Amino acid sequence: MKKLEGKIAVITGGSSGIGLATAKRFVEEGAHVVITGRREKELKEAAAFITRNVTTVVGNVSRLEDLDRLYAVVKEKHGHIDILFANAGAGTVAPLAVATEAHFDQTFDVNVKGLFFTVQKALPLFNDGGSIILNSSVSNVLGLPGFSAYAASKAAVRNFARAWTLELKDRKIRVNVMSPGAIDTPALATTTGLTAEQAEQAVAQFTTQIPMGRRGMPEEIAAAVAFLASDESSYITGMDLAVDGGMAQV
Amino acid sequence: MTRLNGKTAVITGGATGIGLAAAKRFIAEGAFVFIFGRRQEALDAAMAELGPNARAVKGSVADEADLDRLYAAAKAERGTLDIVFANAGVGSQLKLGEITAKHIDETFDTNVKGTIFTVQKALPLMGKGGSVILTGSSAGTTGAPGFTAYSASKAAVRNLARTWAEDLKGTGIRVNVLSPGATATELAKEALGEEGQKAYGAMTPLQRMADPAEIAAAAAFLASSDSSFMTASEVAVDGGLAQL
Repeated sequence: MKKLEGKIAVITGGSSGIGLATAKRFVEEGAHVVITGRREKELKEAAAFITRNVTTVVGNVSRLEDLDRLYAVVKEKHGHIDILFANAGAGTVAPLAVATEAHFDQTFDVNVKGLFFTVQKALPLFNDGGSIILNSSVSNVLGLPGFSAYAASKAAVRNFARAWTLELKDRKIRVNVMSPGAIDTPALATTTGLTAEQAEQAVAQFTTQIPMGRRGMPEEIAAAVAFLASDESSYITGMDLAVDGGMAQV
Repeated sequence: MTRLNGKTAVITGGATGIGLAAAKRFIAEGAFVFIFGRRQEALDAAMAELGPNARAVKGSVADEADLDRLYAAAKAERGTLDIVFANAGVGSQLKLGEITAKHIDETFDTNVKGTIFTVQKALPLMGKGGSVILTGSSAGTTGAPGFTAYSASKAAVRNLARTWAEDLKGTGIRVNVLSPGATATELAKEALGEEGQKAYGAMTPLQRMADPAEIAAAAAFLASSDSSFMTASEVAVDGGLAQL
């Protein structure tokens, strides 16, 4: 059965990792997806990987004019939105003692402000009865050295879902949080600022903390996001779904 | 939709309500299901609805000998088990000041001890790819008048999954908690009446009680490989009741 037949879904940060795997899964479930990302080349490659029912819009969620352009494209192409996966995020490593203002601002601009306006600007196009999924992280309840700004920004995201569940209840729009644990994506190596050796050490350390004894695959997060996006989760709202191999649960 | 093709599931408290809805859903997704319950009449009625891919075993999760019979039946016919939905539970209300030892014992015998032995006795039949689902409750994280024993027992159930994720490390068996909120089972509808159902529904952001099929859909997600990276997690299917 196709759980998302004919649905229109927007996915920010859709060109790699969790966002890309989710876009592919949504299309397999029958949806049309509009994906955004900052780099045109990667977006084009993502669209080729997804193969069909995909539209790309280059943009940065922390820039409001980019979001306006995104939703203008969605409006023109589809007229409405059923599902929003606000997934774009940033997280560089910076210990408290040496973190710069730029590091703090960049983290909160993308993860908090960017996500806030990603949702706000989607609302006029949203169908009543739709589903919004906010990508947080199990770091929203964990302490990880060097990740304080990131973890705090993800805790903010978790809490957005609480107020928005109430604000959007009359429109029957459900709002839930996805909290992945350590996932095998390119982000750890490419965006955190870690060297290859440091990234490898981080993976080894994560793995010892995960009851399932391994990192997750982006496709495993995508399967859970598809659940939250579909009517299969019709009585679930305001919830934080941890998909972390047990990392933050025990 | 055949995510559970060829799988064998045990569902305790499977003759009515959430358990029965899950049995229907699992079978619709391709599974073979053993339902376990205390009342023969309810089991018979359920079997009439479930069709050829179901078996019924009469018994109580609070009785170890009954559980042994359940798993002997599953082993004899299917050999192995893939899914255990430890769903049987009881809950009556007594306010602090009126609580009796018998009330505590009855609640914990079924909800906690019964859940522990339901899972422990299933393990010899389970292996890699197995999924254990424990029925918690939104009461496990909230307070409500008269729910001392029930709430505490469901908080205990939620915590069982934490230890078991560690105890089951390396086995490939996952264990998660499914925590329903106010659910409009036949029993609840009868007990609450129209007004009561409205009042319970009004407490949730979704402004209604759950249909048992909605809880069953989440159980199917946890039973299937769609939740393959989840263990020790809690999925609250409560219309937002305990999430805000």
